[in-house]
Amino acid sequence: MAELRMREALRDAMAEEMRRDEAVFVMGEDVSVFQGAFKVTEGLLDEFGERRVRDTPISENTIVGTGVGAAMGGLRPIVELMTVNFSLLALDQIVNHAAAIPYMFNGQAKVPMVIRMPGGGGHQLGPTHSHSFEALFLQVPGLLVACPSTPADGKALLKAAIRDDNPVIFIEHESLYGVRGEVPEGEDEVLGFGEAAVRRQGSDVTIVGILKMAQVAEQAAQSLADDHGVEAEVIDPRTLRPLDLDTILESVRKTNRAVIVEEGWPHGGVGANLAALITEQAFDHLDAPVQRVTGADVHMPYSKRLEQAAIPHEEHVIKAALATTEGAL
Amino acid sequence: MAEIVMPRLSDSMEEGTILSWLKKVGDEIAVGDEIVEIETDKANMAYESDLAGTLTEIVAEEGATLPIGTVIAKVGDSGEGPAASPAGPVTEGDSLAHPRGSSPSAPPAEDAEQTPAAPAEAEPAEAGERVKASPVARRLAKDKGIDLSTVEGSGPEGRIVKKDVKQAISAGDAAAAGPAGGTPGPSSISPETAKGQVAYEDLSKLQSTIARRMSESKATAPHFYLEVEVDMSRAVQARGRIKAAAGEGEVVPSFNDMVVKACALALREFPRANGAYRDGRFELYSRVNVGIAVAARDALVVPTVFDADRKGLRQIAADSRAVAEKVRAGTITPPELSGATFTVSNLGMYGIDSFAAVINPPQAGILAVGAIVERPAVRDGEIVPAHLMKANLACDHRILYGADGAQFLARVRALLEEPLSLAL
Repeated sequence: MAELRMREALRDAMAEEMRRDEAVFVMGEDVSVFQGAFKVTEGLLDEFGERRVRDTPISENTIVGTGVGAAMGGLRPIVELMTVNFSLLALDQIVNHAAAIPYMFNGQAKVPMVIRMPGGGGHQLGPTHSHSFEALFLQVPGLLVACPSTPADGKALLKAAIRDDNPVIFIEHESLYGVRGEVPEGEDEVLGFGEAAVRRQGSDVTIVGILKMAQVAEQAAQSLADDHGVEAEVIDPRTLRPLDLDTILESVRKTNRAVIVEEGWPHGGVGANLAALITEQAFDHLDAPVQRVTGADVHMPYSKRLEQAAIPHEEHVIKAALATTEGAL
Repeated sequence: MAEIVMPRLSDSMEEGTILSWLKKVGDEIAVGDEIVEIETDKANMAYESDLAGTLTEIVAEEGATLPIGTVIAKVGDSGEGPAASPAGPVTEGDSLAHPRGSSPSAPPAEDAEQTPAAPAEAEPAEAGERVKASPVARRLAKDKGIDLSTVEGSGPEGRIVKKDVKQAISAGDAAAAGPAGGTPGPSSISPETAKGQVAYEDLSKLQSTIARRMSESKATAPHFYLEVEVDMSRAVQARGRIKAAAGEGEVVPSFNDMVVKACALALREFPRANGAYRDGRFELYSRVNVGIAVAARDALVVPTVFDADRKGLRQIAADSRAVAEKVRAGTITPPELSGATFTVSNLGMYGIDSFAAVINPPQAGILAVGAIVERPAVRDGEIVPAHLMKANLACDHRILYGADGAQFLARVRALLEEPLSLAL
């Protein structure tokens, strides 16, 4: 075990995979000489050289398109988009090409590519630089979606993503890059996609937290136990597609209540989707309507106070959890 | 289009049953018109509309039991037709077409939490019997043969949740110790047991309320009892004279009216007796309202004589007769059954010498009055005949302590033994 920051764990994942497989390479804006806008590619240029750690022009659709072509040609590109927000410029390549090509060619062409992109709010970057697009990518068939919340998961999932033959949207949270955590050592610490982590055991309510909200959910669960005598079970799905619905349903069948926490917008969100799945598949086990805690239905405000008001916090999770247990415990 | 909701017709009312609609869809109604007859936990009463317009839709069918606040009917502007489309009856789709939930243009921040919750809150009142229960509660009830309409919900807006069904199951298990399993239906008859056949009767709302409140009283209010013998000889004389002097059709106060008046005057002097222990505090009331326990068919109700301390005996007599008559006729209304600060219960007419009563919560006490019996009494060393009456005061020890209760009861006795003081 080593204690690493998220950004170091992600860097190690890439370096290890690049050592293991010649076909793996990194490209993106400022990933090479500048070592990444968030310093996630630090040291890669020195070790692997310009051929495998490539700076690109500021042209996201082109970057992703180049990655798609490289992947179809037999390489395993790791494309970094500087932030989730800029992925909007590359949606044609992501949706119409990366995700669709394996289907259109009946699997004869594969797109083994990872598109890394940091996102999330909280840094006063305003409406155009604070998005949470987990739900948007979750909607597209053919894309795998990872959203790790700990350094260990970040490393193990990124390695798995690089080895996977499907295009993977790898969403990182800007606020989590500096978070430290124990990371198992070893080249083969790979986490399978579709394996949720139960972060905390509980009997009264299931709280599913996405990305950074997995941590907020854990904090809320502690307060629920300390202040309200409510034992929450906290689940971090870690990947949204494939989704480990079994673990979530098993928990809901035990607790009869569910709260889903995400930073993205409420309508058509990850929580909306998951609430529907829970209702469809565990209807007879619910003792209260599934609650969602989401970012506000607004464009991210610039003002610090307003921005904080638009992002879910521990108190919102507690309130939602108590709403499910009202009169029931 | 306005909505008529299940009204709160008494303090303790949580739900009501639609007995009958007095208006039909399409009828014009004015403010004050009686539109629907509702059974509450206390009484049956006609509900008067506080809206005017055309009754466009009856949402709650007769026989439906619904929590207060649930929509039971809709009223449109005069001339506005029934809610149904001209082509035919209202379909489920039509009623769902009303906009509900929040729109995405709602204000930020709060909306993030509000949005998901909104559809649940906006759930339309379903017509009739559908009981609000969580899915897991429903499944559990089905598996265990629990009738959800017999379960009280503790969740939001009275939703029956898993815990409620589990309690009902364990209660049922405990009750099933005698005859073999099965949930009794209304007035069902069981197979032969060691006790013969068992007939099951479902309780009326009123009977449920009595059962609940009486157990609550004995379980939560520590009762103690004080008993005195009251010499009613002078009261008997006084009443004889009042009766003789009464003109045609004039009300003659009964002995119970005198007891009510004596209690009212004494209550004025002992504020704690005219109060309640509630939520860790004493509540002391400025008005003295005495409830009179009246046996009704298959039930017991306690109509109120308001401001009994300020009313003359004749007024008390007139009031108590009027409410007792309404009780027997079944036309008593919740306001006439609430607001009492003390209760008098009298079983003298059945020849009962004395008894101890259960306090009507949250009141501080109840006076149980026995029959007036002519018996020998010792007065100044002589044995003389006297009209004696036992009065037993049950006190809630959380507010009315021994010495206070004793002084209060002594004062009631003194007032009754010198009935002239009742006229002052």
